[in-house]
Amino acid sequence: MTFWILITFTLLIALWYLSFMATRLDRLHHRVETSWANLDVLLQKRAAVALEIAHSDIADPASSLLLTGAAYQARDAEIKNRSAAESGLSGALGLLLEDSQHLATAADNALLTELSGLTDRIRVAIALHTDAVTRTQMVRGRFVVKIFRLAGTAPLPVTYEFESDVL
Amino acid sequence: MLTRSLKIGIVCPYSWDTPGGVQNHIRDLAEFLISAGHDVSVLAPAIDEDNLPPYVVNAGKPIAIPYNGAVARVLFGPVAFSRVRQWISNGEFDLLHLHEPAIPSISLLACWAADGPMVGTFHAAAKRQKIIFAIGPILEPAIEKLSARIAVSEAARLTLTDHLDTDAVVIPNGIYASRYAAGVRQSKWEGNTIGFIGRFEEPRKGLSVLLEALPIIARFVPDIKVFVAGPGDSEEVEKSIDPQLRHRFTFLGKVSEEDKANFLSSVAIYVAPNTGGESFGIILAEALASGAPVVASDIPAFEDLLGHGQYGALFKSEDPMDLAKVIIDLIRDEKKRTDLAAAGRSRGQSFDWKIIAQQIYSVYEMSIVGSSKVKLASDTRSWNRFLSKDEKK
Repeated sequence: MTFWILITFTLLIALWYLSFMATRLDRLHHRVETSWANLDVLLQKRAAVALEIAHSDIADPASSLLLTGAAYQARDAEIKNRSAAESGLSGALGLLLEDSQHLATAADNALLTELSGLTDRIRVAIALHTDAVTRTQMVRGRFVVKIFRLAGTAPLPVTYEFESDVL
Repeated sequence: MLTRSLKIGIVCPYSWDTPGGVQNHIRDLAEFLISAGHDVSVLAPAIDEDNLPPYVVNAGKPIAIPYNGAVARVLFGPVAFSRVRQWISNGEFDLLHLHEPAIPSISLLACWAADGPMVGTFHAAAKRQKIIFAIGPILEPAIEKLSARIAVSEAARLTLTDHLDTDAVVIPNGIYASRYAAGVRQSKWEGNTIGFIGRFEEPRKGLSVLLEALPIIARFVPDIKVFVAGPGDSEEVEKSIDPQLRHRFTFLGKVSEEDKANFLSSVAIYVAPNTGGESFGIILAEALASGAPVVASDIPAFEDLLGHGQYGALFKSEDPMDLAKVIIDLIRDEKKRTDLAAAGRSRGQSFDWKIIAQQIYSVYEMSIVGSSKVKLASDTRSWNRFLSKDEKK
């Protein structure tokens, strides 16, 4: 008798644990999605600001060309090329801003402040996203999760390889 | 900018009536957010229920436990848990901001009970503790629910990554920098004076290091005076001072915010000889903002705050000889002192609430995206949903 009670008890605990892990994973996937959405919006905004900068007086014709190209590439890139394209844009912006800060006029300065504000927020968004992704990968790597396929059909998230030092 | 008006719930893990960095931070943040047009409710343990500001909800009487080299007044237990749940379900918050959610207090309970956008701020900086490794696996799923983690300093961030294997965004503590910048010099504190603010009885505040350094300083600067402000029993400490040096010390007791600004603006040097356990060093930020030349021990939090010596002078922690050397050097060199104060003043401005609150708010915005309001976790669990459906029938 006690044997069967014990068996039921363990089974119940196991079931509870499985459901707990599934909820936990679901929440993590949600976090990955929302943090990605945040990052995506901010990156789109940055590309738009970069285009504006390219058309303003801050940029000379050559760097304007470079910047426009990079901004369009970043906007149109597919998910798997996205990191590279955004890093390219960071590089182009970095090159331009390195030596042009002192020649900017008031109107251009507003653009530059907007860009630096965006950059700060992108840095935060990247940190949040990376953390969500690594946690999810960690939990999904667990034996229980793998064997019972608790992740369902959700794709395994991949880290966004943003070279944060370029910004 | 602070655009949409939000309903924000902030949880304070420590007793509201006891002074402390976390409590001050929460009070200032809550007041700043309210003045920016947000609806804020703070849940905190409190001993004296009648003297709470209108935005604070009492969670119950705190329990004193030893934690991280000091006594922490925290609150947990089934009664507290049900109060936390009640506060969450009545509040209809857009977002919860939990402070120190890894400490056994109501922040952790709230993190456990709630589901939805949550931001956690980690204040403490501590060395690796085995106990956390033991309870880590239990904490992990709860801490994981936070959509964003903030650490108040690089030291706090390292503590977090060390203990719980998760990363955080660093947003420093805020101060009302303009109040400190507006401090008025007062002649009673001017001259060759050293200022010290803090609970001087606590060994980790390092007053003893300054006591040991003073005979050496007095030999080179005969008219040196030390002013110590902060709550505590000064008689006890005065007894331990060498009688020949006793007349150089003045204990001011607890000073008002306004006096603090004037005090910091007047003293020739502000000293923070803390030996450790410090995560950010809000008083240093205040001293910088008021334009006092700062001398601090080279513990990680201070080194970080002072830009490795760029905004204030550092000395080897717990080394009175080095402290004396740095102070004498600064007292004798007027130009060096004013240069240091000027660099420090602009550094202090970067901790102003206007800037800090904006950074915190942009983290709020990111956590809210794509989520509904904060609910009780138990309401969203599938079996409970199933049960409550039956009840409605």
